[in-house]
Amino acid sequence: MAEAGKGLSAKERMQKPRNQMPLHEAGLRILSWEEVPIGYSMEQAQDEAIRCIQCKKPECVPACPVGINIPAFIKLVEQGDVAGAAKKIRETNFLPAACGRVCPQDKQCEAVCVVGKKNDPVGIGNLERFVADYEREHNLNRIPDMPPSTGKRVAVIGSGPAGMTCAYELRSRGHEVTVFEAFHRGGGVMVYGIPRFRLPLEVIDEDLKLLEDMGVEFVYNMIIGKILTIDDLLEKEGFDAVFIGTGAGLPKMLGVPGENLNGIYSANEYLTRIYLMHANEFPQYPTPLYQGKKMAVIGAGNTAMDVLRTGKRLGAEVTCYYRRSHEEAPARTEELEHAEQEFVNFKWLSNPVEFLGDERHFVKAIKCEVMKLSEPDESGRRKPLPTGEYFIDEVDTVVFSLGCDVNPIIPSMTPELRTNKWGVVMVDTTTYHTSKKGVFAGGDVVTGGSTVILAMGQAKEAARHVHEYLMGQFNYELNVPTDPNAPGVQWEGRFAKAKR
Amino acid sequence: MTNRIHSIAAKISSQNTEQLKAALAEVAKLSDLSSEEKRELAAALSTSFYRDHAGDEELAQLIDRSESILAAQGAEIAEWMIEQLVEADAESAEHFAGALGQMGAPVVDLLHSWFDTSRNDDYAQINLLLAAGQFTDPAIARVLPEALRCAGSTNKQVKSAAFYCIGRVFARIPPATVGDADRSMLFDTLFAGLSDPSPLVRRHAVRAIGKGVRNNYFTPEQVEKSHNAFRTILGMDHFDWDNAYIVRSEAEYQLHFCQHGLAERQAMPKGKYYQDFSILEKRELCPNTYYFKVNAPLLAKKIQAGQFIIIRPNYDSERMPLSIAGWDREKGYLEIVIMAAGRTSTEATQKNVGDRFQDVVGPLGQRSHVAKYEGACVVLGGGYGTGAVIPTARDLRALGNKVYGVVGARTKDLLILVDELKAVCDEVFVTTNDGSAGIEGFVTHALEQIMAREKVSMALAVGPVPMMMAVAKMTEGKGVETWVSLNAIMVDGTGMCGACRVTVGGKTRFACYHGPDFNAHQVDFNELIKRQRMFVEQEKIAFEAMQR
Repeated sequence: MAEAGKGLSAKERMQKPRNQMPLHEAGLRILSWEEVPIGYSMEQAQDEAIRCIQCKKPECVPACPVGINIPAFIKLVEQGDVAGAAKKIRETNFLPAACGRVCPQDKQCEAVCVVGKKNDPVGIGNLERFVADYEREHNLNRIPDMPPSTGKRVAVIGSGPAGMTCAYELRSRGHEVTVFEAFHRGGGVMVYGIPRFRLPLEVIDEDLKLLEDMGVEFVYNMIIGKILTIDDLLEKEGFDAVFIGTGAGLPKMLGVPGENLNGIYSANEYLTRIYLMHANEFPQYPTPLYQGKKMAVIGAGNTAMDVLRTGKRLGAEVTCYYRRSHEEAPARTEELEHAEQEFVNFKWLSNPVEFLGDERHFVKAIKCEVMKLSEPDESGRRKPLPTGEYFIDEVDTVVFSLGCDVNPIIPSMTPELRTNKWGVVMVDTTTYHTSKKGVFAGGDVVTGGSTVILAMGQAKEAARHVHEYLMGQFNYELNVPTDPNAPGVQWEGRFAKAKR
Repeated sequence: MTNRIHSIAAKISSQNTEQLKAALAEVAKLSDLSSEEKRELAAALSTSFYRDHAGDEELAQLIDRSESILAAQGAEIAEWMIEQLVEADAESAEHFAGALGQMGAPVVDLLHSWFDTSRNDDYAQINLLLAAGQFTDPAIARVLPEALRCAGSTNKQVKSAAFYCIGRVFARIPPATVGDADRSMLFDTLFAGLSDPSPLVRRHAVRAIGKGVRNNYFTPEQVEKSHNAFRTILGMDHFDWDNAYIVRSEAEYQLHFCQHGLAERQAMPKGKYYQDFSILEKRELCPNTYYFKVNAPLLAKKIQAGQFIIIRPNYDSERMPLSIAGWDREKGYLEIVIMAAGRTSTEATQKNVGDRFQDVVGPLGQRSHVAKYEGACVVLGGGYGTGAVIPTARDLRALGNKVYGVVGARTKDLLILVDELKAVCDEVFVTTNDGSAGIEGFVTHALEQIMAREKVSMALAVGPVPMMMAVAKMTEGKGVETWVSLNAIMVDGTGMCGACRVTVGGKTRFACYHGPDFNAHQVDFNELIKRQRMFVEQEKIAFEAMQR
């Protein structure tokens, strides 16, 4: 196929308007669980690819946690070689279909895109998604060439983004990989925590199947720390190394009166009931959900948006309560926009202080204090301050979306594994090696809660070092923090390093 | 008619609910009934089947009890019951059918012979099929040829009843009981039913096929064939969908099982860590409560007293937390007690030896707190919770403590695991609310006696919340370290969702991770009770959906 934009100058390329992602219409999509963005067509994709000016020193590549060669794959799309583009992405990213959908591109690759200086940035995420979907729909062979087995065995704990990536990387280097998962199916947070209208199940299942086809063994219903400890894995079960990718799974609560009333969930519970246990298909699936008509969601991160939009699809009137304002909302821009399009109400600067219940112990109202923002402090952050004014709204369902702490099961059963006072597993930030020999960790378990792509980026880095460890080439001076107040691995960590 | 039967019969047929209740209680105390008396009693009991119980929950329950009592009279009255059944109206026919179903294997041959003798009576055939669908004993597989014959009837009602019966058998009898060839023939017959001119027949065919898929009766090819057929019915492939709504809605419901049926078969990894959670032993401890021995070698190696597991009986099931009554680390099995109360527990108790649970995960939670105490230890089990105290009692005794066991139940027949508990305690007390065995009253009465006799340092109570509450209240301020095992509603069981939040000592705790055992004197029981009732409505709906 011909190169679509042959002969165009960089200036001409930069002047083309961005191909907006076609979406299902807001009024209709809240009636269905179908994915909201429709995806580019071949024409749109090629047209968008033309917009990339193929910078000599691309800013976008180091801005990607896994370092995808973005200009190269976009060039291939422009030339019509989508299969080639897919191969290119897969060199560095094992979950393109998921990342194209859930990555915060507005804070990564697209944020630094040169085209974005004057015009909208190139739709890198949309193109990545297009390529991944094309690859899946056309059943292109995705199994990488694998070297002969090294005979080394690695246990990967958790089958979410970090675990899957690590398994992929290590398996494709010829190691035997066993993935242990506590739930009865794989995919981790991508299944239980991200809604189907953002990430369809078949996307995840395809990738799980790819891993299985590559020879990765998956074992479900295994709670490592309880049924087998990490010591068991290393000493009795014959694993040469362990990677912990168990994520952050211990929901934070507010600690205000009435938070244990019926009808009050953590976002984890609410989303797990629906997306893992299919409570939206109740009673075909027997897991129940108490879904009221007026739902309050506390928090304004990506998960909060997911909960809000899920509630909308279950027929509730939904309102987001956040103690800061719109500008500080941690959610991805696109998610906030989609939520706004879907008639979600927002109550900014509202800090819940109490939940009131009825005689059956069900929540019936939320009491909030009105907040105001302080002047920016030295760090430039504006803190929410109490005003002493209160309001009460009637609600019958409340979901806390305040983030998670790290699940304590593995750390509590592995004394040598050092954690900070928030329970985050401490690692050496170069190698992702923990304080226990042969044990690596990556993803939310070392950051304390972040994104799919960051977990993948870390898992990829960790896998590289696990490989070195297994091959006897691991010569690092490890620096695992001992200070209980030390933070987890920072989101900006690698990003900042790359920029330098 | 003997006097004792006469007075009961009068009460049952009095149209008065209280009288009926009293009469049923009296029947339970009757013994040594002659055949004649049994028949007379049956006639009296069956009069309750004709009563209008619309909107009267209590009466409906009493009628169900009459049904069970009728069934308990045994095969002697079966012939009489079938005579009634074939003539009965739709409502009472269900009760006769239900009672016959409960009688089980001994009446299968009789039922079989009736199919033959009433061959020309369509209505009789329908009711006989209805009855055949109520059996849970694998012996009922013997009437499948009759059901197949009826499926060839030209009467659409008979045909639908045959499909109904086949579907019920799928859901209740393990597929291995029916041979491969027979299963294949059943599938072909049902599949042909999808193109029947009557929507009623088509609907029953769809439903029966769906049940077959769900219960692993069919080969992957057959599942795929069903899947495609349902898609066609729904117009997902072309535009010639089935014109009857009832067929389409049923297909929509069942389609979903086919899809999963396919996925489930493909993904069956069997590596080193594969555990097949098959049932090695099943015993009925008392009505609706069963003891299971489940194969789970890895789990059995690690589990400790007080920890729990989560099971999912089927691939679409809820995750159900269960306490553990014992294990064998060598042989690799767990012992659990399940009381059929809601949908998931009922699904679990319908499994038989040789069947598998879809998932068993654990060990979850922290182990029970045990130490060497100065005074005696008392473990108290109420109802199905009795199993859970056994491992802890064993541990306590191993540390050299004097351990008393207390088992409580409403009545003598509901007492479970007393002998098992005796094996690990120095002495076991039994209490029943009605005084039919042991001490009359509650477990706290036994505890009171023990405390009066000697110093008690530690108590562990597992059972319904009111019972745990009562124990906590009794020991408060008396220097007895008291533990309770909280059965909060859970989803994942690993601390990830927080559904199981309980307030202990004013702090929010997760029963799954911090518990399940907590200091009884600090637990906010009232909150727990209310939180346990969060999904009452939904649980009812789920249960009804299962029975359809």
